[in-house]
Amino acid sequence: MAREVSFVFNGNPMKMTVGDHWTLLHLIREELGYLGTKEGCGSGECGACTVIVDGEAVNSCLFLAAEIDGRELLTIEGLAVGDGTLHPLQKAFIENGGIQCGFCSPGMIMAGKALLDENPNATEEEIKEAIAGNLCRCTGYVQIIESIKSVSGHQTEEPRVIAWKTEENDRDA
Amino acid sequence: MQALCSVGKRIPKIDAVDKATGRAQYIQDLKLPGMLYGKILYSKYPHARIVHIDTSRAKQLPGVRAVLTGADIPEIKMGVYKDNRPLKVGKVRSYRDEVAAVAATAPHIAREALNLVEVTYEALPGIFDPEQAMQAGAPLVHEEHKTNVLKMPWKLHYGDVEAARKEAAFIVADRFTTTWVTHCCMGTSGAIAEFDPANNLTVYSNTQIPSLAQKDFLEALKAMGVQDRRVRVIKPCIGGGFGSKLDTYAYEYIAILLAYHTRRPVKVEFDRTEEFSATSTRQPTITYISQGCDKDGKLLFRDVSMILDNGAYTSWGATTPSVMMMPITSLYRVPNVRYEAKCVYTNNTYAQAMRGYGNPQATYAIESTMDMLAEAAGIDPIEFRRINANKAGDVSIQGLRITTCGLEECMAVVKDQLAWDRPKEANEGVGMASLIHVGGGARVYKSDGCGTIIKMDDFGKVDLFTGATDMGQGSDTVIAQIVAEELGLHIEDVHVIHTDTDVCPWDVGAHASRTTFVAGNAALGAAKKIKARLLELGAKQLESPLEKLILQDRQIRHREDAEKRIEIGKLLRKTHFSHAGQMLMAEYFYDPTNENMGRDFRGNMSMTYTFGTHGVRVKVDDETGKVRILNYVAAHDVGKAINPMLLEGQVYGGVMMGIGYALSEQVILEKGENMNPNFRDYKILTAKDVVPIAAPVLETYDKDGPFGAKGIGEPGCVPTAPAVANAIYDAVGVRIKDLPVTPERVLAAIRAKKGLDLCGRELSQDHPDECVIQQ
Amino acid sequence: MRKFTYLVPKTLDEAISLHEARGERAKYIAGGTDVLVKIKEGKLAPDYLISLKHILSQDRPFLNNETGELYVGAFMTHRSIEKSPLVQLHYPILHDAVKNIGSVQIRNVATIGGNLVNAVPSADGAIPLIALDGKAHIYSAKGERTMELLRFFLGPGQCDLGRGEILTEVVIPPQRPRTGSAYMKHGRREAMELPMLGVGVLLSLEEDLNTCAQARICLGVAAPTPFRALMAEKFLVGKAINAENLAEAGRIAGDESRVRDSIRGVAWYRREMVGVLVKRMGLKALERAENKAEGGRLTV
Repeated sequence: MAREVSFVFNGNPMKMTVGDHWTLLHLIREELGYLGTKEGCGSGECGACTVIVDGEAVNSCLFLAAEIDGRELLTIEGLAVGDGTLHPLQKAFIENGGIQCGFCSPGMIMAGKALLDENPNATEEEIKEAIAGNLCRCTGYVQIIESIKSVSGHQTEEPRVIAWKTEENDRDA
Repeated sequence: MQALCSVGKRIPKIDAVDKATGRAQYIQDLKLPGMLYGKILYSKYPHARIVHIDTSRAKQLPGVRAVLTGADIPEIKMGVYKDNRPLKVGKVRSYRDEVAAVAATAPHIAREALNLVEVTYEALPGIFDPEQAMQAGAPLVHEEHKTNVLKMPWKLHYGDVEAARKEAAFIVADRFTTTWVTHCCMGTSGAIAEFDPANNLTVYSNTQIPSLAQKDFLEALKAMGVQDRRVRVIKPCIGGGFGSKLDTYAYEYIAILLAYHTRRPVKVEFDRTEEFSATSTRQPTITYISQGCDKDGKLLFRDVSMILDNGAYTSWGATTPSVMMMPITSLYRVPNVRYEAKCVYTNNTYAQAMRGYGNPQATYAIESTMDMLAEAAGIDPIEFRRINANKAGDVSIQGLRITTCGLEECMAVVKDQLAWDRPKEANEGVGMASLIHVGGGARVYKSDGCGTIIKMDDFGKVDLFTGATDMGQGSDTVIAQIVAEELGLHIEDVHVIHTDTDVCPWDVGAHASRTTFVAGNAALGAAKKIKARLLELGAKQLESPLEKLILQDRQIRHREDAEKRIEIGKLLRKTHFSHAGQMLMAEYFYDPTNENMGRDFRGNMSMTYTFGTHGVRVKVDDETGKVRILNYVAAHDVGKAINPMLLEGQVYGGVMMGIGYALSEQVILEKGENMNPNFRDYKILTAKDVVPIAAPVLETYDKDGPFGAKGIGEPGCVPTAPAVANAIYDAVGVRIKDLPVTPERVLAAIRAKKGLDLCGRELSQDHPDECVIQQ
Repeated sequence: MRKFTYLVPKTLDEAISLHEARGERAKYIAGGTDVLVKIKEGKLAPDYLISLKHILSQDRPFLNNETGELYVGAFMTHRSIEKSPLVQLHYPILHDAVKNIGSVQIRNVATIGGNLVNAVPSADGAIPLIALDGKAHIYSAKGERTMELLRFFLGPGQCDLGRGEILTEVVIPPQRPRTGSAYMKHGRREAMELPMLGVGVLLSLEEDLNTCAQARICLGVAAPTPFRALMAEKFLVGKAINAENLAEAGRIAGDESRVRDSIRGVAWYRREMVGVLVKRMGLKALERAENKAEGGRLTV
């Protein structure tokens, strides 16, 4: 019915009693009160609830809280360091337009972080694969992929195809 | 003119830090003390008489605080046509009909209580096809109307289409259909309602229309017998809009009714299944279109008639013809136009606004037949479009005054960036489609206005209260840029507040790509008032003529004398803390001078129009029918890009949504029942489906737009489907006239073109249907 | 979510006795990505969930160098199979399948055994393992039994597991020399798809690297259970592997299918795609067999 679990939550050791039927998402949002992790579907199809457990991205909506025992849990709230300095991925999402409505952003950033922690030189294809389970309806993913790419060591200098035209110089497009 | 410091810059969204750190709060994250949880019981039938509802067992469940049915509530009429109620009485007309609602102390108790509500139905024959629903003897969805056809006469005829038809050298005619697609906001819908002891109502809702919602809720209170009370609408962060939140819905009224009955705050929050099956879709259409041109390729007429599946009730979907008219009459120069649309009740789900507001459906038919007509006339499709392109200074036959128009330039850029004339591999093709959309507001309501209040503090910072709604598109940031620019401040000096009708002025809503233009102009108007005051005060303080002063980098400066300058904050303090002190505040209400349409639907509905052209290169797998997009170019005339990064985000997002509309998305309704209410089977595209997209921007500096800007929220998804369909035709010679363009449809068309049946065998009289598999 | 008690046995025997004591009210759970969704949807309502996650076993596929058999433990996550160099190199058909199941997040926790015992027609994991001639090892209080994985599937959602029995692993016999294999899921999107159709082809070649010595064609969603297109396989044996013969094999496999209409695809299209994909996967398998010409028993 309930059990005691010990785990590391965003760097802090925790000990608490969890219900057997609680999901990790329930633990994070309802019991711990950290609301950055979102529920978009509840069935593992949208990725909004993505958190990192022992270095791996998981859907917290389909992960039993009981299974967190002895493990390390990282949520979006654990990314920025204590003085408020943002994680490079958070900065990249902000600066590259990777965020619109923002509902998918915490999960998207966590999926990106899990990828780059394992593979700091991720290619565009690897980035797309890593976030394929994180749906976004606003951005069309383009600027999200650019955001993650800007932090990955594997950056290619592709010129962006933008014809920036004005009334004065509309000859050369 | 001063160089721009904020406007035109790739400035990050001002709410992005909160969203990147998980601090932003959505309706999902809000909890009020003592809050109850509301859940809704939906119909088990698409069409049935409600014989009896027994709520007694549900009421006895511990934790349940209220159970309501249609019989327990006053007559609150909702929707555009007032043909809907929060809880149904007498009969249900679709599967999403709300039959009962429960408030309980926990969500799981409310859900359990729903299972205890016993409803006895008497099934009625349903009608699911709008063309059948128009026939005599079809089951009536609303008996009192005596017909399933709505009395909304969308009908216009400009010039003489029949005469033009006789003159035309080339004519094409065809039928196109589009189906239900849905917004798929990542944050589901939800609302919290709370009454104070005096029956003033506060509603927290992720609405796109706070001011109109306030009015709707006031009317509901009136129906409930609560007179002369206040309604306050508070918007938390919105997890995506796209038009879905442009109406008020049953769930909001249900939250209000449950709160009223329990005297507790009540939250109704949709789960993903509800979000799919109980929110409204984009309007599906059946379009009959013909177009004709003369021997030189000049368009002579366009004749369009549409049937819209209205579903069981009427929301904004039924009014999308008001926008469809715009491309039908005015995309390219057309001298004779006829258009008629009939909205027909069925027992399907009902439709709502969705990005483009009818424009994607109309443009699909128009731009597909433009290619067909070009081919019939033997003219290159780009040249054909160039011959007929709109130009600045045109007044279209519907009376749309085109002030700026970069359509031809957009086509040229697409042609260039897509390498249109490059040699193609087998089954590779290119296609193009253009768009016109309202870019300067859209007068579809009594007012198209937006208000702004600016208050300066003692430190040179701005609190800006706007009626605009930021649902992720970045309007707060754009407004802040405009005000920072005008007042010589930094972007971080401008704090935008848009969340609360108690403090924010009126706005008609976040629709019609109008926010940058209308709310931007409203903010600019208020900022100009403040600027005038600041300059006046500065002139006195610096003992300089007013016209010599500028606002720059948080200071008032003399243009020529660098010594003469003062910090704006310091000036404000001096003004405040002096004898008979003053603080600077300003308000501005901007209502554009665009026109409501007349009885003949003529009128300049927008101050300006956004144009654009999309081009796409595809490769079709002729064995599987799969369409792969190799490259996509979406060029738009945006007037002026206030924030190029956010603008590109609108285009990329629109294009990917448009590609989904073209190729993969479909709400599958079987006899009115939603068969795919989940992300597994409703196929919005994933990161792995991203195609290379270029978003070139043309700036034409519209005289009425703030710093020259026009709206760009919707255009990204308007011409996507016809561009893709045209490219498929170019690749494999088949024209797909039904959305989505599934591999099945492409393969079937390829085989039919070769004279083969679905199994790839020669079609013959003997076995025409052999390959249809008996289940 | 509905309440249940979560039990965490450390051994198979413990798991089985926990199940035996609770009977119908208990349900095994591994990764939980299917079981928890079913509980949330009300399709399952167990009072006890018995976790198989903590039973000590291998965490990645391994090769028995004595027998040449590959052991794929039922409690391995898709991700661990996907990342296994052994699988990537020598069992590409399995890699093809597991790397496209769900998302990274799902593959990090969902197990191959869970995918199999769900026995949905669209189970991506089953097709390659059947094509590889996998044997299912099933454990119960009575001991262990072994069966052809192909015969493990009885109908949609039904597999040959008695009450309390646990699928523990799938064992893949050594492959013939000059074998190549490939799997493809046919869907609308590039990710997050349940297949409209899944096609796996395994070919072993004669020494001429052209003549088919053995063929296994396994299809998912083409019938109520995963099945092998035996007529098509028979057609190929002894023939040259080329586009023409593979196309004919595909046509035969299409005829052997029992496809149906569903919201994910219509029957005629599915049958036509069986033809196309058998050909394409056959050609890919051929290419892989040629690339790995020496073949034979694997050692890693």
